[in-house]
Amino acid sequence: MSEAEYKRPEPYQHPEYPEEDTIPFFPNYIILEVITSYIVLALLVVLASLLPTGLEEQADPFSTPAHIKPEWYFLWIYQFIKVPPLLIGPGLLAELAGILIPAIGIVLLIILPFLDRKPQRHPRNRKLAMVITGLILAGFVALSIWGWYS
Amino acid sequence: METTSRPNWWTRVGDWFDERLNVRGPLEVFLRKPVPKHAIRWYFCLGGITFSLFLIQGVTGILLSLYYKPTPEQAYDSILFIMNNVRFGWLIRSIHSWSASLMIATCVAHMLRVYITGSYKKPRELNWVAGVFLLLLTLAFGFTGYLLPWDQKALWGSTVGSEILGVVPLIGEYLLGLLRGAAEISALTLTRFYGIHMLALPVLAFIFLAIHFVIIRRQGISGPL
Ligand code: HEM
Repeated sequence: MSEAEYKRPEPYQHPEYPEEDTIPFFPNYIILEVITSYIVLALLVVLASLLPTGLEEQADPFSTPAHIKPEWYFLWIYQFIKVPPLLIGPGLLAELAGILIPAIGIVLLIILPFLDRKPQRHPRNRKLAMVITGLILAGFVALSIWGWYS
Repeated sequence: METTSRPNWWTRVGDWFDERLNVRGPLEVFLRKPVPKHAIRWYFCLGGITFSLFLIQGVTGILLSLYYKPTPEQAYDSILFIMNNVRFGWLIRSIHSWSASLMIATCVAHMLRVYITGSYKKPRELNWVAGVFLLLLTLAFGFTGYLLPWDQKALWGSTVGSEILGVVPLIGEYLLGLLRGAAEISALTLTRFYGIHMLALPVLAFIFLAIHFVIIRRQGISGPL
């Protein structure tokens, strides 16, 4: 195809914002993605070399170790299932609460955009939602710390 | 200087490919896609960082798979071999497990960014849903990968972790059997987790990442609040 035949594509519009409020994906936007990614990768290499992942004794189904802890990102649920038996006493009901409440939480997280349909986006105009979220996050952190030290 | 209008070598290479594949138009649409100036902020990069870590997991995971053996007799020794005998094996393994942790952290941070900037609201509801599935997949990667080294931590951590499924009403026993392949964590569980970790989850992650990225392309990244 010669230079004359070559037709520039229509400028691909952002569905919501006028052109002067936007920058091209490449190279203007992607450069920041690349820089921030490299910062995290640098952190990753430092962590991986200074604190190398270890290996314990080979698995032995006949000897249960004293302290079994899950990875940090599962500590909250590890500790959470221990809470209902403390509150209402051990039993089927407590076990059910321990698994049903997180399950319901995940379903609520999935359908969140269909529950919260108000158009306001700024956190300033969503104070209640922010407070509730803050409390939930604090709960996750507290459960994880508790699980870690329990 | 024979001619002033001769294009540079880069343009000529581009011309060569364009003549044959007619890709310049689509490529330009892809690269010049407008992004709101508002999104030039570090916290709008958390999704991209998560994706970079996902790529690291792919590369280091494939390298580990060249030596790893998914049976109770061999798994532990193959990890020892990776750590002691394979050049930089310890580092590759260490990067794979640190990157798994970081990826979960950045994924959650990305979700919080989307939540706080209200970017899950109309028209982006479906991408939030795709995102939650990506988070669940990331957690599933972590859960199944934890068993593979077959040390005490792996076996007993996975035992305690999977027990919670047994509590599900009516189908709990069945679910637990499905996950473990047997009553206890055994050889069947190891091959099962290996298959899930190495094949099922990567395929699912690719599908959901593709959905996530195509939707972002269609809708554009969200702008000022
Ligand atoms: C493996 C995990 C994930 C990857 C690699 C990923 C990647 C990305 C990328 C690169 C973007 C572009 C903007 C940005 O970087 O902030 C984005 C946007 C988005 N993500 Fe994710 N994401 C993941 C998980 C999630 C999760 C867990 C959620 C929410 C539950 C989510 C919801 C969204 C939404 C709604 C957008 C559009 C935001 C906007 O337009 O401002 N994603 N994602």
